[in-house]
Amino acid sequence: MESVPRRIKTVRPMAAAGKILAYAALGLFTLVTVYPLAWLFINSFKTTNEFQMNMLGLPVDWTVDNYVGAWKIGEFDRLIGNSLLYTIGATIGITVFSLQAGFAFAKIKSKATPLIYGSLILGILLTIQSLMVPLFLEVTILDKLLGDLLRSIGLYGGREFKLFHNTRFGVLLIYIGSALPVGIYLSTAFIKGIPDAIIEAAQIDGAGYYRIFWSIILRMSAPIAVTMCILNIPGLWNEFALINILVSDAGLKSLPLGIFKFSGSLSSDYGKQFAALVIGMFPMLAFYVAFRKQITAGVAAGAMKG
Amino acid sequence: MNKKTFFTLLFAVVFSLCAYSQKTTLTVLDYIDATAPGYAEVQSVWQRFMVDNPDIEIVKEDLSNEPFHQKLAAYVAAGTVPDVVYMYPSGRSTILHDQKLVKDLEPLLGKEYLSAFIPAVLDTAGQKGGYLAELPQSICYSTVVYVNTKLLSDLRLKVPKTYKELRAMVPRLKAKGIRPVLMANKDDWVMQSCLFSTIVGRMVGDDWIDRALAGKVKFTDKEFVKALEFVQTMYKDGVLGRDTIQISYGEAPALFAAGKAAFFIDGDWRQNSFLTDPKSGVALIDPAKQETDFQFINFPAIPGEKNPGAVSAILGCGYGISASIPAGSAKEKAAVRLVKYLYSREVQTTILELGRYITSRKDVTSDALEPFIPKMKAYYASTSKTCYVLDGALDTSVYTPLNLGLQEIGLGTKTPEQVARTVQDALDLWLAAHKK
Repeated sequence: MESVPRRIKTVRPMAAAGKILAYAALGLFTLVTVYPLAWLFINSFKTTNEFQMNMLGLPVDWTVDNYVGAWKIGEFDRLIGNSLLYTIGATIGITVFSLQAGFAFAKIKSKATPLIYGSLILGILLTIQSLMVPLFLEVTILDKLLGDLLRSIGLYGGREFKLFHNTRFGVLLIYIGSALPVGIYLSTAFIKGIPDAIIEAAQIDGAGYYRIFWSIILRMSAPIAVTMCILNIPGLWNEFALINILVSDAGLKSLPLGIFKFSGSLSSDYGKQFAALVIGMFPMLAFYVAFRKQITAGVAAGAMKG
Repeated sequence: MNKKTFFTLLFAVVFSLCAYSQKTTLTVLDYIDATAPGYAEVQSVWQRFMVDNPDIEIVKEDLSNEPFHQKLAAYVAAGTVPDVVYMYPSGRSTILHDQKLVKDLEPLLGKEYLSAFIPAVLDTAGQKGGYLAELPQSICYSTVVYVNTKLLSDLRLKVPKTYKELRAMVPRLKAKGIRPVLMANKDDWVMQSCLFSTIVGRMVGDDWIDRALAGKVKFTDKEFVKALEFVQTMYKDGVLGRDTIQISYGEAPALFAAGKAAFFIDGDWRQNSFLTDPKSGVALIDPAKQETDFQFINFPAIPGEKNPGAVSAILGCGYGISASIPAGSAKEKAAVRLVKYLYSREVQTTILELGRYITSRKDVTSDALEPFIPKMKAYYASTSKTCYVLDGALDTSVYTPLNLGLQEIGLGTKTPEQVARTVQDALDLWLAAHKK
């Protein structure tokens, strides 16, 4: 009985110290995360000249000209539409195709499954940088071959056929394709955890694979679907390397390419550059604020099942 | 969805995505960023061409920095170099020159048209492929000493003609809290490109560099080590502060404009940072002060220099025409028309007024120039000899350790001999890889 109060006496100060340490560390991490964003936001209201003279203080004259200029020069009205299309379209595609493939690999037995699964998963090891030039070659060659074929059978009369290169369809296709290996890996692992008995019961009731997928698997895979969305949306929104290679027309470009316009090699219009970054960052912040609970739950679900 | 419906839909999508045009379409890859001085005006220049030439459609892509080079590499790999492409006389555009992916502009533009340009830019020896692959828009002087003459005269100091005179003013400037020489050495290329190339040109010479590239002399030889030692001396003498290694390229002009330094060493392109922004009407240095308080000079005489007055310079970038365009075709004629327009007196006058560069056209003048622009022209006229910019003469694998080594000398973490050894090792590797 005597040992209990003694233990309380010795543990309490340690616990308090631990708490202080934990809060100090968390406070520091918060500061490290929030300060650059706050600094960026504040400096986006300075002229470039003022920024060069006063990098840390508050603006003397708060100006919104940077935002007006950045929006106009960066053609953000058009770019945001494209970014939304690419992000939402590719996320839906990645999620649906990954789950379908995951269902097939996890629940439809075939001798070819390990080979096909392995070859698709191999894509995880490939970096975007190593794919840039081969993908560009692929889309230009495919366009040429398909154009020649359609021309030869009289179905196309134009000069330059474009389906994959410099088109929104091509961007979506490659965005979806490049994210499928991770998506398939996560989906397969998750769907393996769904009891076979449920699928067998549905089959006994006369449901085919498509019906089973849309009515049972898709609904039961909601946690992993959310995880995939969370993993992909920020990456797709900020994607630069592939779209820089895949499109040339200004009307097809996305927000990161517009933001990059403000980064010069020999000079930088910092005011507009910061304003452009804030504009580009805002939708992602809004996304996080709106869906933070689902994001936390989704990441946790993905971590456990994936 | 049955197969028939699927294919009908697919074809409908295909046709809706395909564009068809009767115009001659020219694809252009240009190097520009939205922060470049006069960006909007440059865009207007292109717009004007499209309005004046309704039979030509321009599909233009603007990129800069690494994404420009990545995109160009992809185009080259796919064999689809844009019809008109912005390119360097060597360096990152080497592949366009070596594989002759762009046409020789000399016969296309014609002798009469080219006679309007200064002969130095037409010298094909300066281009990697040995032919006029691009028409240089300018000659780029990579070393200019920007002098705050008002600050010097307030302290009763004179513009130095020798390094000794420059060193002698250090104590008086420092006593007043003024930095003697400002350089943006945080970016590793600045010291090499904007000062060391001139030091090497003066103390070692281009011939010596050529011999080093041929493997006949070594960077560890005393001539080159002495040039590196001079950089070390500048730091030791306090002419250059070690804290310049913390100054980024974007910060330096404002510091100089605010009178924080008596001298600022950078390339000729940097003068446009001080000019009036056409949009905001604000200048880092007011035009009236540009006229009275500032001067551009060559770097003062270096003790033991072999080539007095030499300054590092390189042919500027320009536009080339893709070799894949059939000779005599409507597309080739359109590309030539575009290139001639871009180098026309009218366009080059606009560019000069914006202070983007000092054009290589001889017949371009304007009354609307801010004082720094004619002052830069006068600086060009005052220099009699040019020498290599080292990053234009050496391979990336060789000048990268040099760039870093120059920073290390500044920080005091490496000796000139150690840096010379690193550069020679890199050159040996490059020579071994390129042995025929």
